[in-house]
Amino acid sequence: MLEALGLCKTFGALRVTNDVSFSLEKGERRVILGPNGAGKTTLFNLLVGELEPTAGTVQLNGDDVTRAGVEARAQMGLARSYQKNNLFDQLTVRENLALAVATATGKSAWFRKDTLKDAEINRIIVDVAAQVALSDHLDLAVESAPYGVRRQLEVGLALATGPSVLLMDEPTSGVGPEMIKAFHTLLKTLPENLTMLIIEHDMDLALDVADRVTVLNYGEVVFEGTPDETRSSPLVEEIYLGGWDSHA
Amino acid sequence: MFYQTKTKSAALAFLVISGIIYAIFTGYFGREMVIEAAILAILAMSLDMVAGYGGMVSLCHGAIFGLGAYIFGILTAMLGLSPFLALPIAISVTALFGFAVGGVTSKTSGIFFIMTTLAFGQMVYVIIFDARSLGGDDGMSGIPRMDLSLIGLDMNDSLTFGIFVILAAALVYLLIAAILRAGFGRSLVGLRSNETRMRALGMAIWKYKATSFAISGGIAGLAGALAAQHTMFISPSMLVWTVSGEALVVVILGGLGTLIGPAFGAVLFVFLKHEVSEFTNYWHLIVGTVLIITVVMGNKGIYGQLEHMIDNWLHKKQGRISLAKEDNHA
Repeated sequence: MLEALGLCKTFGALRVTNDVSFSLEKGERRVILGPNGAGKTTLFNLLVGELEPTAGTVQLNGDDVTRAGVEARAQMGLARSYQKNNLFDQLTVRENLALAVATATGKSAWFRKDTLKDAEINRIIVDVAAQVALSDHLDLAVESAPYGVRRQLEVGLALATGPSVLLMDEPTSGVGPEMIKAFHTLLKTLPENLTMLIIEHDMDLALDVADRVTVLNYGEVVFEGTPDETRSSPLVEEIYLGGWDSHA
Repeated sequence: MFYQTKTKSAALAFLVISGIIYAIFTGYFGREMVIEAAILAILAMSLDMVAGYGGMVSLCHGAIFGLGAYIFGILTAMLGLSPFLALPIAISVTALFGFAVGGVTSKTSGIFFIMTTLAFGQMVYVIIFDARSLGGDDGMSGIPRMDLSLIGLDMNDSLTFGIFVILAAALVYLLIAAILRAGFGRSLVGLRSNETRMRALGMAIWKYKATSFAISGGIAGLAGALAAQHTMFISPSMLVWTVSGEALVVVILGGLGTLIGPAFGAVLFVFLKHEVSEFTNYWHLIVGTVLIITVVMGNKGIYGQLEHMIDNWLHKKQGRISLAKEDNHA
């Protein structure tokens, strides 16, 4: 479904992503772990096309999309949620979701019909809102919504496009234990054929939802394995204790 | 998002009815003011569509306005084409020009977008100013109005032409309102709000920017063609960048992103221009002062502030009615 081959990204003399390769099968849940500054978000930006790699390729459904723009990859079923909320702040939760659904379904180009009154769009909005526990907040203005609601909407926007590959950048960042639990449930209940790549710091959640785990450090893949192998890996433990340094 | 609220409908009805009544009961000079205000309202609404709802602040709408006037003038006064054919051609050409501007500038934003649109506008101005065959600085006269004598209307009569232009402005409002209420308009607001996210959702940004600019350009071109028929004379001064600046002032005065607000802004602008200039040449000073007060008072514009107050009042009133109903049920 999604494949990275020898991805590299340098900013001047700084190499942020270094020869990263991995392959995601259909329906696979892959978690990316790594300390701050490991290059996880940069890797996401390379995968979705927000950054152009210095070297390497990205393949989506067997097609080379390395030079394809963000919108082209999104149209091919690649969706992402952001580490920092990236919403339509002046609009309501419903309007936010409607924009996502309309864009994904091609109804954003309608000149005669109101997408906010379209039955199909409203059905998807209701479904997605239920998935991310936003059913009671649909008419809330995003700029005045609590942080938790905004975080849920961040994931909701990505889900509303009906993706085949979903990239989630720290979906539980900054939320309390209850919401982490809710996200945990959400991740477990998403369709089995949905391929997911998740950056997550909450180890319990990450290792519970993952089929495989990739660990990045200094922009390099330093470990790849199953959740059990991750738990028992001294290397991963060392990285998370903060003492490991491949460049030392 | 754009919603055709009761306040907006009432404001539109008020402007159309009061404009027609004023045109009927006033003299020739008053009618000229009404026509000028209605044409400026069309230009300002076209600008509000892209600036207020799409976040694309354009400084070439004056040039598109002038281009519409020149295309209409060339086709009718120079080539002898019927105004009924010249008008849709002028609209189409300005829409195409708008599409080009929107497409080329789609990857720019902020000050760079503004300056690029200014550059486009200045190019058109210079080409027309330097074209001796178009009269250069002296302009072009003898531009005819549409002949509606078949249905018994004399368009050379200022009242008939005035009512025609008011109705044209109302139709333009309804057209833009319909687009803003449809999927395209909703997406345009999404673009203004968060372009990065719209791209991440799969929107081909340049197509939407180019198309919205084409629609807006076509409407600005219509305003220009009507202005050419109004004065029956055109000159490069119609394309100067300050025309774009004035249109932007009108939009902000009335209320950026309110659609009907710029029409109110146009009326106020024309009124101040003509009434204040009777007492002083410094009428721009008064407009500037009103603009500063409007911006400092909350950035909503005169109509925007009024709409905000009325909607709040209606909301509170509705809340009180709901509470009273709940009490009665209890």
